[in-house]
Amino acid sequence: MARYGMVIDLKACVGCHACTVACATEWNLPAGEARTHVRATPVAGTFPALQSSVFVAQCNHCDRPPCLEACPSGATSQGADGIVRIDHTVCIGCGFCMEACPYDARFLNPLDKKVDKCDFCAARIERGQEPACVATCTASAKHFGDLEDPGSAVFRLVYEQGAQRIESTAVAVGPNVFYAGKPAQLALVQTSFPPRAPRLPVAGTSLSRVLKGLVLTMVGVTFAGQAVAFFNQLRTGEQDFED
Amino acid sequence: MLQRHLKKHHIAIILLHWFNAIVWLLELLTGAALFSSALFRVAPAWYISIVAGIFGSRGHMLQFHVALGLTWIGVYLVYGVFGFRTYLSREVLQNEIALDRDDYRWLVVRTLGILGLTREMLPPQGVYNAGQKLFALMVYVMLPLVMITGIVMTFRLFGPAVVGWAVVLHFCAVGAVVCGLIIHVYMGAVFPEEKPAFFSMITGTVNELYAYNHHFKWWTAVKAEQRAWDRRHDAEAKPVPEVGVPD
Repeated sequence: MARYGMVIDLKACVGCHACTVACATEWNLPAGEARTHVRATPVAGTFPALQSSVFVAQCNHCDRPPCLEACPSGATSQGADGIVRIDHTVCIGCGFCMEACPYDARFLNPLDKKVDKCDFCAARIERGQEPACVATCTASAKHFGDLEDPGSAVFRLVYEQGAQRIESTAVAVGPNVFYAGKPAQLALVQTSFPPRAPRLPVAGTSLSRVLKGLVLTMVGVTFAGQAVAFFNQLRTGEQDFED
Repeated sequence: MLQRHLKKHHIAIILLHWFNAIVWLLELLTGAALFSSALFRVAPAWYISIVAGIFGSRGHMLQFHVALGLTWIGVYLVYGVFGFRTYLSREVLQNEIALDRDDYRWLVVRTLGILGLTREMLPPQGVYNAGQKLFALMVYVMLPLVMITGIVMTFRLFGPAVVGWAVVLHFCAVGAVVCGLIIHVYMGAVFPEEKPAFFSMITGTVNELYAYNHHFKWWTAVKAEQRAWDRRHDAEAKPVPEVGVPD
């Protein structure tokens, strides 16, 4: 089974947003929404040694995705191919996963009010096509393929040419979108768009840490109480009280 | 006294009760399988996969849960609209659900009695005993909560923050009802002294001796009503005219 990943070459990217448009078109997203976004770092350094870079963000299909555990309904799942998918028939739009994602790659689709994100164009992959953003990239900056196949472009870029993950020592969940670029450029991207710590909304933490246990204990104690009463009833035997 | 029967439940209530029971059974069985991630799971993984397998997918399981829930809300709305004066008027709620001094005493004696700690006589009860009243009170608070949060989640109203809290409230409200339900099912279907109450949910009637023993205040009220009716009837009754022979 393949382990899909992506490499985005920031040296080649010209920041044209064609990937954003291709994505929104492919998935019929409402105006202003897309599963991938082009951003720019602030300009760093002092003249004439200036540095800036574009940055392309999307779902990283992490090795240990925090969104997976945060999803109460089981709408989010990860296949053996590494792709993190959302089952839109199961999503209830509670938004727990959006808070959990360290890369803020998830968003609420305003049309159906369910959560949406990149799935590496899984439907296109099944048809043998590349993801829409990769196919359309004007500068061929986006590369997609199997990270476990030594013959693939992504394997070469990651393991031979040193494409990097955007992660920190604090937040290391194994993202599988890698970035290639000059060392100074990559360092600037790392500091400009660092992953944040995964979190849950108060509703999620109160349910998982307190209320779930409390309710299950209450139900258990009540059941045990009735079980005691039942055995008491068996022990004393039934009296025909009414006749 | 054992042969004579008093009417306790209207056919509409009997039908609602069993419809409600089936819905709760199915909603609890599917609902327990809806929480699937390790953080929120309330049922073991094998149970979740069995239930999802029965429906074919998690999506179909959720669809069933939602469709049945909305139907259930619809039925309650119809009952609420057409039966408001019968079931929800202030008078009915005061007579059938509000707890009085005897009820509080009953709760203590009943609990100790079932656990085998006392043999004291139970205080007299109205048409519903204190346990039933307490359960009804909780259900009256929790049912609207379950319905509203269910609708919020179904139609994803007011944004993710509200939907997130709806998940929490839905779970907690159902948990509270389940605690009551365990006692309700035990008392209604297993506990020997209350068996006539169980059959009254099928036939609609209880025998008079049971009413006398378990719902003395109700029995007294029914008897007083019958006597009043008899007196009225006797007073209004005119002597039967003799069949005259035409001249």
